[in-house]
Amino acid sequence: MITLTVNGEARRLDTPARTHLADALRDGCGLTGTHIGCEQGVCGACTVLVDGKPARSCLLYAHEAAGKTVTTIEGLDDDAVAEALRAAFSRHHALQCGYCTPGMMVTARDIVLRLGAVDEERIREELAGNLCRCTGYRGIVRAIAEVAANRPVLPAAAPRREAPAVAAPVLATVAPAVELPNRIEHQEALAVPLEAAWAILSDPARIAACLPGAALTRHEGAVLEGTFTASLGPISASFAGVGEWAVGDHAGSVRGRGRDGANAAEGQVEFHLTPAPEGALLNVVLSWRLTGPLAQFSRPALLRGLVAGLAGQFARNLERAARGEAPAKRLSLWALIRAWIFGR
Amino acid sequence: MKPVAFDYAPAETLAGALAALAAPGAKPLSGGQSLAPTMNLRLVRPATLVDVKPLPGLRDALETPTGLRLGAAITHAEIEDGAVPDVTCGFLAHVARGIAYRAVRNRGTIGGSLCHADPAADWPSCMAALNATMIVAGQGGERRIPAREWMRAPFVTALAAGEILLAVEIPRLPPGSRWGYAKINRKVGEFAKALGVALPGVLLAGAIEGPPALLGSLDDLPPGLDAQHRQLAAVAVTRAAAMRDAA
Repeated sequence: MITLTVNGEARRLDTPARTHLADALRDGCGLTGTHIGCEQGVCGACTVLVDGKPARSCLLYAHEAAGKTVTTIEGLDDDAVAEALRAAFSRHHALQCGYCTPGMMVTARDIVLRLGAVDEERIREELAGNLCRCTGYRGIVRAIAEVAANRPVLPAAAPRREAPAVAAPVLATVAPAVELPNRIEHQEALAVPLEAAWAILSDPARIAACLPGAALTRHEGAVLEGTFTASLGPISASFAGVGEWAVGDHAGSVRGRGRDGANAAEGQVEFHLTPAPEGALLNVVLSWRLTGPLAQFSRPALLRGLVAGLAGQFARNLERAARGEAPAKRLSLWALIRAWIFGR
Repeated sequence: MKPVAFDYAPAETLAGALAALAAPGAKPLSGGQSLAPTMNLRLVRPATLVDVKPLPGLRDALETPTGLRLGAAITHAEIEDGAVPDVTCGFLAHVARGIAYRAVRNRGTIGGSLCHADPAADWPSCMAALNATMIVAGQGGERRIPAREWMRAPFVTALAAGEILLAVEIPRLPPGSRWGYAKINRKVGEFAKALGVALPGVLLAGAIEGPPALLGSLDDLPPGLDAQHRQLAAVAVTRAAAMRDAA
């Protein structure tokens, strides 16, 4: 049980810890003016005032708001600035479907009160966290600018300095796009003879044994089934899936699909071995498509570090396997990524 | 999406918070502006959230002759608004204003951002450039960790399991120091594709897929970066240096 003040009224809510404030307001208080869009802090539709300051009510669990004062769009009915903004929004056609409007109004009121008479450029910057898919923002920006212009001019902060758009040296070109949107090419030098490496790389079971986080559960002809677990800090995903295995002359590929809850992945690993003076060179091309929450969250750049780290560890395990030794204990991600980025 | 069920434990004392964090599946919560999205997406599934922001001292900002000790639960907006003393000739306030959106800055904390350790975040790079020091507490007492040894990998820091970041000590920049900051992103408030920091005698590239890198010159950009990210990092660092030198 928590107690908080909502629109001037004391509320007691019996809600589990996992309920965010937006759900508590809508379902627990019946205040459906607060709209829920993305639930990850990007769209701004759920913006309310917590102790007078705008906050994402989807990124605040209701229990964190215990003892605090919350104001929703319903609580701004008699607010003078909100009233002026409502009239200006209407005049400037600053809404169409209205879904973003409660969050827009809360943010607009904060802009007007906190910044006073500001120019359109600053208004656009301040509105970057509230998405509108109807208006193209012009009406919204004009409405806010009109109300702001009638406010007293606050002592202005020093103008924000901008980094100059100077030319940087051009370092390299960009790789072309491929069928699967994400692609990493990677090379690993193997300190074992070509044929010894190929003895392992031609056998999916021995490949899986060298790859940290991978387990092969079935291998019949070209069909593979298995699991793969990867983690990045507190985030961990465990994919189970099926794939097709193809093998060529010192080359092979796996194309597969897997799922972890709502996350789905489709990917392809192609590799070929080439002779090198001190053993063999393993050339790997990994391409993938990721859908679901993990894809919404992650950036390919972060996965790139993970993949490069895993490839290095795979190569060392393969060398040990070729010498008849057991795979090494799993290295920390820190060691993997540092070794990869800084080459040491 | 909604997060999995978890227990919420607001901390009252440091000893209580450390005890709560020793339980399996316990995770510290500060402003929650990065943690809550990953929880709502069920990418992170804690058993218990230990809310550390009510802890005594975490909201203190203490100016000393050598610098500023900023409590971990000071928000980005408080730094943006000058509600804490300025020892960096306006650098921290400038950086704070470019973090996400105002509604996020009102809740998000400097300590939470440092502990989340997203390579694209502003504070891990800025604290490394400023040569700041993290003050952390664990069952064995307090210890100090240089900011330049803080981020070890994306989302991985030098903080040991069960430890809490209490404050960050920021050395004072000499009066009149010139600085430059360049953040490359597709839209105001989005994740940075590259960060460049230029302070007196310091050049740093951030948001480079891993820990930020101190550079002697542009030629020092880590060689493992792919072509696109190397180019963006070069642009960010070049702009930051030009901004510093034009100031």
